[in-house]
Amino acid sequence: MQQLTRFAADYVGYVLKGGTKFYAWMGVLGLFIVGMLYVFYLQNTDGLIVTGMTSQIHDGLYFANLVFLVGVAAGAVTIVFPAYAYHHEGMHKVAVLGEMLAITAVIMVMMFVFAHMGRPDRLWHMIPIIGIYNFPHSMLGWDVLVLNGYLVLNFICGFYYLWVKYTGGEINKKWFIPLVWVAIVWALSIHTVTAFLISTMPARPMWFHSMMPIRFITTAFAAGPALIILIFMIVRNNTKFWVDDSAIKLLTTIVTWCLGLAIFLTMSEIVVELYARTEHANGLYYLMFGLHGLTKLVPWFWSSVVLMIGAFILFLIPRFRNDFKLLPIPCVMAFAGIWIEKGMGLIVPGFIPTPIGEVAEYYPSFVEVMMTLGIWSFGFFILTILFKGAIGILQGEIKYGGPVAAAK
Amino acid sequence: MRKLATVSLILALCGGAYYAVSAAEKTAEPPKEAAAKAPVDCFESRKGASEVTQREIKPGWPNVKCSPTTGAALWYGDPFDGTVPMGKMPQMDIPEGLAVVKPRSEKLALMPICGVSCHNGVGPKFTPPVLPKDKKPAPVPTMAAMVPDLANLQHGRGRIWCMDCHHTTQRNKLVDHWGDPISFDQPQLLCGKCHGDKLRDWRDGIHGKRIGEFVSTGKKRWFTCTECHNPHNVQDGARNRGFVQLQPEPSPQLPRGMANADHEKLHPIPH
Amino acid sequence: MAINQPPCAGPAQDRPSDCSVQPASADPKANPLKTTRRDFLRSGGMLSLSSLMGTAALMTQSDNANAATEWAEHFQKNYRLMTPEEKNEARLRLERRYSDEYGKKVAVDTTDAQPGMLMGYALNIRKCIGCRRCVHACVAENNQSRGKRPGEKIEWIQVLRMERGKFEQEKMNHGYPEGLGIQVGGNAYTPAGQVLEGQYHYNPKAVPEQDATYMPIACMQCEKPPCVKVCPVRTTYREGDGPVVIDYNWCIGCRMCMGACPYWARRINVTTPVLPKEEMNPVTHYLGNRPRMRGVVEKCHWCLQRSRHNRYPACVEVCPVGARKFGNLLDPESEVSKILQRKNVFRLKAELNTFPKFFYFYD
Repeated sequence: MQQLTRFAADYVGYVLKGGTKFYAWMGVLGLFIVGMLYVFYLQNTDGLIVTGMTSQIHDGLYFANLVFLVGVAAGAVTIVFPAYAYHHEGMHKVAVLGEMLAITAVIMVMMFVFAHMGRPDRLWHMIPIIGIYNFPHSMLGWDVLVLNGYLVLNFICGFYYLWVKYTGGEINKKWFIPLVWVAIVWALSIHTVTAFLISTMPARPMWFHSMMPIRFITTAFAAGPALIILIFMIVRNNTKFWVDDSAIKLLTTIVTWCLGLAIFLTMSEIVVELYARTEHANGLYYLMFGLHGLTKLVPWFWSSVVLMIGAFILFLIPRFRNDFKLLPIPCVMAFAGIWIEKGMGLIVPGFIPTPIGEVAEYYPSFVEVMMTLGIWSFGFFILTILFKGAIGILQGEIKYGGPVAAAK
Repeated sequence: MRKLATVSLILALCGGAYYAVSAAEKTAEPPKEAAAKAPVDCFESRKGASEVTQREIKPGWPNVKCSPTTGAALWYGDPFDGTVPMGKMPQMDIPEGLAVVKPRSEKLALMPICGVSCHNGVGPKFTPPVLPKDKKPAPVPTMAAMVPDLANLQHGRGRIWCMDCHHTTQRNKLVDHWGDPISFDQPQLLCGKCHGDKLRDWRDGIHGKRIGEFVSTGKKRWFTCTECHNPHNVQDGARNRGFVQLQPEPSPQLPRGMANADHEKLHPIPH
Repeated sequence: MAINQPPCAGPAQDRPSDCSVQPASADPKANPLKTTRRDFLRSGGMLSLSSLMGTAALMTQSDNANAATEWAEHFQKNYRLMTPEEKNEARLRLERRYSDEYGKKVAVDTTDAQPGMLMGYALNIRKCIGCRRCVHACVAENNQSRGKRPGEKIEWIQVLRMERGKFEQEKMNHGYPEGLGIQVGGNAYTPAGQVLEGQYHYNPKAVPEQDATYMPIACMQCEKPPCVKVCPVRTTYREGDGPVVIDYNWCIGCRMCMGACPYWARRINVTTPVLPKEEMNPVTHYLGNRPRMRGVVEKCHWCLQRSRHNRYPACVEVCPVGARKFGNLLDPESEVSKILQRKNVFRLKAELNTFPKFFYFYD
């Protein structure tokens, strides 16, 4: 118990200390978080009218980010899996960072859920016993279950590992390794269930196909590691922690082929939908070319296509793949491309036209943009803290017994 | 409208922290109701057939709500307002009082006069009645001025004339197959002479309209033929449809961000 | 019987006791579940709920009845799990709040489904002239929001205008050159009878127009409603006598049901509904037209406040051409049963197996 309080105190103490750059970074994020709290207040006094959502298009930027971030959370498994299944040295060293990223992404997802709800004050209605939990019928019920489960699993795995490093003990493999395996499979489940959330609605033909889960997984395993590579680059350049080249190389390979698969699946969908061009293809047609002369999403779609294909080609060029100065370019492109494709490009056109053929357009309001920026800032805020603490422990700068022990 | 928002935050429930934000909006007092309002009339099914005057049955509960745009009846507080028993219908045993209609006899302003002044059934020509063999009415200027529809009767494509529907000697009545009079409140007895299939559907509630209690044993106000169709212009001229055109009620609100609905007129694939 | 004062729709105190008839549950499986949950809540959950209510009352620290009422509303149970006493309590609470808010005596009815009743609806699309009177009757009856800002005006019925289309000699080459579709030919893409590519915002001087037909669409009250399945908190469910209803006080506003509905029948209250006092309909039902709050979903419920007392829904009563028919599907003498026996009917999007109790027919 005493060890635990020391752990918490050391952890917090270490995380709070930092240079000007650290405080400036956290301060900027803090500003956005304050902005987010303000728009959250607006949204819960005026209602969703301050957002761009309507009865026609009732899921927008929030839901899009939610779906995307579930992917990022699931993407963390691309570190954990090679680390534990293939005993990849470089990955094993950073596996805990992947878990920290997963924790952050899941927390962000939950915040987007809060932002999305019409009545966040009534979310307790979902808690079993005091509320009603429509299980197993409601796909949203499943999603809540797997997301919370994933949060808990990653919290346990991540912090147990750090705890052991902190105290200098041995990992109890009897339960830790099985738990890691559960977490790996669970990672797949969170994104699969999120895909089911929208692909189980025959009312929305654009989403109603069984390819949705695998598309989700491939995009997640492209966007997630792309973000991780970027973060690792930052970690390498700004901290004493050195992420092995081998880890980044393996992640690059994963991003490349998952991105390739994602592009392939998108192409398949386009061919299947537009070859017959039934009314059910209206959503995709709206996305690609516009419908009834309304074309707000067309530039988004094509920019995502350019970004994704461009990133894929760059990844295939050895000069880009191997030069760590150039690698961030395709990573940013892939990340942005998938964010657009899965966010604006997947959620919004599902509502256009409505199931009875009314066509309306959606664009996010200031409140939505501010909220989204705020939640992302909050995410980076937590991520910075979690990474700083984790790196401190991995580096041995925080250790049970104080600086004396650390110096050993 | 002035809004007062109360915001409360509760934290800590069941191990997790969550927000509860509630906003109660208080609407401002409305302006005092105008003391005397002009009576509001609205038409029911078709214009010119039947009207209702709006009044309060009990506080805050009008007999009818009218459309400010078109003047049509939009909502019935009391579906049986101003109705009378429908009267006997052949082949139908509806318990007394369960079927009511809105009397049209009173509504037709000339009705009481028709039967006594001009078409009183008295005079040398009417005992016995002598009617033109070619079924072409002799033009009477007074008559044509009072009922302009008659000049070009749009019913039956020239195969029927006045006396096929109106009683020969009792002009404020309609006529059945035996030459017996039918009340203007029961036009179905007349119309059913030719339109048997429609009468059958109407009897079963498939054709036409009823309001009141929907259960088959409930009390209903039946809308009769002439409340929806104008018998003198049943084809509505060149349109050749049974129901006249109406001004529609306003279209739905445009969703946020849409300036107009012109895109609806464009088809997804050009044609 | 005076229909404008149905026995259970009047003010609370003069309501006869026979109004609280036990519900006829639609789902036989629902009953055992109901009891166990109820017992469970009574024994354990209620303790925490009541203590919360007490805290809430303390927190408001005022004798403002409305604030206390709202607090109590925050912590009430799902309507289906309430005991008859709790239902009555919730009803009185709402009646007090609404009467205060709208400056008139508001009755909140809690009449349950009656055995032997299964409501059904039929609409003659050959007769519909597209006048939208049903749309506005619905608003007059059901206390929807009538604001001016986008999203503040809610209508439950949509009337679709479909083109009759025209096939012409001059258009024989239309369809060439072809973009991304496949088969092409003379007069390709003539939108005759194209259901989902019509207009909702048509506004001519007079209807029906020569070149158009009309098709009103609202909630189909499906026998197998996809919206009910996806609801994470079971706030929306099918009542024993047919209509799919929402407990507005339990809805969390997640909008999953809106995504799942193939008929776009559901609307979200994006803000506190704008409902002028003088236009408010004071005869309400708990699961029907009582005023809603911000952030919850609402939909057509076949005027439960009327139909539970045998009165026709408002849209049926104002249809000037009598295209709308309503009745008890279990009664062979009802209008709807007669239509099913005699006319050609179809269900919209029948291929989705939602089994609507709303039938389109023509004669």
